[in-house]
Amino acid sequence: MTAPLKSRAAGHPAPLIDGIEKVTGKALYTADLETSDALAGRILRSPVSHGEIVSLDVSKALALDGVRAIVTADDCPHTYGVIPVAMNEYPLARGKVRYRGEPVAAIAAIDAHTAEQALELIELDIRELPAYYTANDARAKDAVLLHDDKPGNLDREVHHEFGDIADGFAAADLVSTEQFECAEVNHAQMEPHATLADFDAERKQLTMHTVSQVPYYVHLMLARCLEMDTCDIRVIKPFVGGGFGARTETLNFELITGLLARAANGKVMMRLTREETLITHRGRPDTQVELKIGMSQEGRITAVDCRVTQRGGAYAGYGLVTILYAGALLHGLYDIPAVKYDGYRVYANLPPCGAMRGHGTVDVRHAFECMLDRMARQLELDPFAVRSANLLEAPTRTPNDLMVNSYGLPECLSTVEMASGWHERKSGLPPGRGLGMACSHYVSGAAKPVHWTGEPHAVVSMKLDFDGSITAFTGASDIGQGSTTMVALAAAEILGVDLARIRVITNDSAITPKDNGSYSSRVTFMVGNAAIEAATRLREILIAAAAKKLEADPQDITCTMETFSVHGSEQSMMSFADVAAAALAEDGTISVKGTFTCPPQAQGGKHRGGAVGSTMGFSYAVQVVEVAVDVETGLISVEKVWAALDCGFAINPLAVQGQIEGSVWMGMGQALCEETRYMDGLPVHASLLEYRVPTIVESPDIEVYIVESNDPLGPFGAKEAGEGALSGFPPALVNAVADAIGLDLNTLPVTPDRLMDALVAQRRKQRRAASLKEAS
Amino acid sequence: MTEALPEFTLDRPETIDQAVTAMAKRPSSRFLAGGTDLIVNMRRGLVDTDCLIDLTGISELQQLSDGKSGLTIGAGVTLREICEHRDIRRSYGAIGEACDAIAGPGHRSVATVGGNLCLDTRCMYYNQSHWWRKANDFCLKYKGDTCHVAPTGKRCRAAFSGDLAPALMVHGAEVEIAGPDGRRRMPLADLYHEDGANHLGLKSGEFIVAVHVPPGDTQRMVRSAYAKVRIRGAIDFPLAGVAVACTRLASGEVRITSALTGTNSRPFLIEGFDPIGLDQDPDAAFTNLAKLVQKQVSPQRTSTIGSHYRRLAVSALTQRLAKRLTLELE
Amino acid sequence: MKQIIALRINGAVCEDAVSDSLLLIDYLREVRHLTGAKMGCDGGECGACTVLVDGHPRPACITLAASCNGREIETIEGQVSNGRLSALQRAFHENLGTQCGYCTPGMIMAAEGLLRRSPTPSDREIRTALGGNLCRCTGYVKIIKSIRAAAGAQL
Repeated sequence: MTAPLKSRAAGHPAPLIDGIEKVTGKALYTADLETSDALAGRILRSPVSHGEIVSLDVSKALALDGVRAIVTADDCPHTYGVIPVAMNEYPLARGKVRYRGEPVAAIAAIDAHTAEQALELIELDIRELPAYYTANDARAKDAVLLHDDKPGNLDREVHHEFGDIADGFAAADLVSTEQFECAEVNHAQMEPHATLADFDAERKQLTMHTVSQVPYYVHLMLARCLEMDTCDIRVIKPFVGGGFGARTETLNFELITGLLARAANGKVMMRLTREETLITHRGRPDTQVELKIGMSQEGRITAVDCRVTQRGGAYAGYGLVTILYAGALLHGLYDIPAVKYDGYRVYANLPPCGAMRGHGTVDVRHAFECMLDRMARQLELDPFAVRSANLLEAPTRTPNDLMVNSYGLPECLSTVEMASGWHERKSGLPPGRGLGMACSHYVSGAAKPVHWTGEPHAVVSMKLDFDGSITAFTGASDIGQGSTTMVALAAAEILGVDLARIRVITNDSAITPKDNGSYSSRVTFMVGNAAIEAATRLREILIAAAAKKLEADPQDITCTMETFSVHGSEQSMMSFADVAAAALAEDGTISVKGTFTCPPQAQGGKHRGGAVGSTMGFSYAVQVVEVAVDVETGLISVEKVWAALDCGFAINPLAVQGQIEGSVWMGMGQALCEETRYMDGLPVHASLLEYRVPTIVESPDIEVYIVESNDPLGPFGAKEAGEGALSGFPPALVNAVADAIGLDLNTLPVTPDRLMDALVAQRRKQRRAASLKEAS
Repeated sequence: MTEALPEFTLDRPETIDQAVTAMAKRPSSRFLAGGTDLIVNMRRGLVDTDCLIDLTGISELQQLSDGKSGLTIGAGVTLREICEHRDIRRSYGAIGEACDAIAGPGHRSVATVGGNLCLDTRCMYYNQSHWWRKANDFCLKYKGDTCHVAPTGKRCRAAFSGDLAPALMVHGAEVEIAGPDGRRRMPLADLYHEDGANHLGLKSGEFIVAVHVPPGDTQRMVRSAYAKVRIRGAIDFPLAGVAVACTRLASGEVRITSALTGTNSRPFLIEGFDPIGLDQDPDAAFTNLAKLVQKQVSPQRTSTIGSHYRRLAVSALTQRLAKRLTLELE
Repeated sequence: MKQIIALRINGAVCEDAVSDSLLLIDYLREVRHLTGAKMGCDGGECGACTVLVDGHPRPACITLAASCNGREIETIEGQVSNGRLSALQRAFHENLGTQCGYCTPGMIMAAEGLLRRSPTPSDREIRTALGGNLCRCTGYVKIIKSIRAAAGAQL
């Protein structure tokens, strides 16, 4: 007898398969792991922004009773980083410090009090150098270099031109240029950073539990920095409390904890404070966008010229990818014949920036969508009409050679236009209320991984054994987005079995196949396809066994609802358990593997940097935001959001909704209240009081619409869903404010003080214009 | 183990006298109420003490009575109790609204009236970790000798950020204080000094026992409200806050009392605003009130949100509340 | 200094010698091995450590363990009864009120405190009651939905 199906698979809303652990408090995060036998780790951080380390004396600290190990740059002469050609950071500052808060030394002691006492005993002498906190200052002619091999304090500059810019602008009826400033923001995932490292002194082996989105990269960097063989390292990712990009590269405290554990010949728990977690940073850089757009009378975009400057912080990190993304993702959303892009990634004496949800595209998309609205206004066109005038037609390739196989933007536009009652409501809103809209998109995984090995881009293995359970093994890091559930759904769908029959084992380098990690929204597309392939192989084995027993042609065997049958006939049926037993009798435990590799045509153009932005498919999103603006206090309240996103196919519609809501809302944080602020390099925002993640009180209702364009290469047609909607929120909000009070804002976030300043400036300008008019 | 707190001993007196004696015995102690300010500051390394005297076990501090002689709120009454107290909400609108606006519900269920009145002043150079403040050579308020907000000045500019004080002040509240010299009472407004490092006029060993508020008016002759400028809808301290009470006098004139918080090192009453006469244009009066507020507040660079903005916004809010409340008067 | 505290945690009587300076969060996590309540900030800013003390939500990260002597503490671990999820836990699970899960124990405890006082809260009441609990994944949409669902289930 087959048990009735408890849940359906792909395409139906499914609670997370690891959700029960989360709601019962049983889910163990890194900081929850057993530490009764662990030493406490603490990090000494640079008190100055830029300087040469004259001396570092740890002898007094080492002599303190209870201190078991201290590590400094002497313990690790190797750089680390996520981009193989741009590793210029040491786990512990070597020779120079380049930002306030940079790790200089670390202590493992019997308890936290002792470790903290010991920190005060370390003698650090630094000869200060001039420090730079803005991109402009860092690029000044006489500025001291942060890195000797980086003249002008430029990490990377990018110059791309596709199509004929001059022709494009000449053909335009309206050419506008504006400048935008977007403040630096941080992921502020709820779980502070933590790592537990256990060094087995007898076997010289290291086991690390850490908060990573990319345990594989952590593994590689541990091997490099600790000069260990990768086979002597094991990296495990427990439950992780969010990432949003904060953990998409190996982070200094992970390497430091590894170094400490080895130095102490034991186990070290490193729990960073919220302040330290914010200083570790890797957020979205402070960005200046200078954008010029040409448009015809009908709203067709004729040319785009964009100049972007990112203040990247003290080290390279993901910098070159971020600055390349910013240009590459000018493409892929609309049909634009000519695009010129100049990008500058600049070093500054601040914590290093990195990848954050919507990596590279958010600030540029903000500028772009704001300008589309303003130009539409000048041309007396509707904002929706302007977007509709510039649609792509899939399948196509963009001028910078990005592959677009599916394109649900038109449906997103019509859905949101209708749902929000755009046309009826826009004209009828009371004073101070406004509607704004914007479009956005994002990649479904980088088609060319940053760490190129030639291996498949994803591997999933699966096992069927005597107990009749199916176990999927994946290195995909679930950080709350639901990738573990996605793998189970894919397997259940292909195998026609109950979801409860599938277990998913994740993220233990000793058990699960390698995976590049959870970033660039790659997991559903790549790991999903690999899971489908693995499940398909397992199904073939099961069908062969069933065919043999039922004496039928395998092609005639179907498997649904845990039942194998010949053409669905009730006369020739076998239960899943019987088929599994038959298959196991042939060859014992069944292990299969599925892989996925992005085809070469997805991997971008041949130009320098062409791999960045290349993807298997883009998600597309449209949102309308309604605001109420209080012009006396400058406070904006977001009344409602309507958002549609084309995710190709929603393998788990519940998770897709959650991702869209979360990303729209995170865009709201960046638009309204979130920003990092430094005073001479000291972070003033380094708490959850000052880094203002929105609370539930002011967070709006978000109405979500899922659009399915069925990508030809996606798993069941799916594409990404977790990033695409974020970058539409800030411009939709700024456009709504313009609609509400007739004020165009060019700086993010739109905090009330900025809004009031802009209002005062606007009134002054209007008065001046009026008096000029009078005078003439 | 986080071991976030330094070692200290915890004393739990059961009477006011025991608390006074405990403090006399060990003057390095600190009084502890709900702990939502003090414990946070201790975790940041901002408090030097080896002993906390926990006042929450003293039953006299829990009194709450609302009668003909007015309202008495024990210092140990929690903000949640005030939020949920219908009579207080009806007769003393500002007090209930101020409590609603403090931090989050978890804080309000433990934070006390006395604690909120004695809230430490706040500043972006002060409410930081030990590492941060050390890297910045500390500051005048704690362990340092320069006020980074106003380096040429002689005093600390940290801002008083309690929401409740102005609400009580516009209702003419008095505080009752216990200490080694016995009990004393004074207008709440007089409790505070314009000095961020020493803003409380409590003598050594003293603590607040209760707040006494003159009778509120249920005849709709007095209306009061509280509003604060903050970026988020919860959690945030006031960038600026204002309580306003409007009273219809026997003469028919309307007296408007307003008190501010979040802008200066103390909460304070706006001075020099005459009652609005029956023949006066109220709008002109409200504009005048807004101007007075702008003139009398002095927000400093204690927060990342600009002082100019805080001045403008709080003056607009004062005007708004005054207008609304005047209309609500019978 | 240490003192003996006697309190009830999730219904069970516990007696422990604790240091005066021990925080409730550390007592629960390290002494009682109840790691459901989380540390998300450096003190009182995020609500991830919310537990019920005598039925009211409180941030355990700024509460002294010693001050809980004689009190009733409830944590996320105590919400399961007879092995089954509470109405709120089930609603958070089924409605995706949890994504990464880190804020979830605090959220559920804050919501539990609310539903005991107000079994069918309005959206406004829900927002007010959870104002001190930050979530970074959900945008709160499905958290509100979960609480509504749980309130409906309890009717």
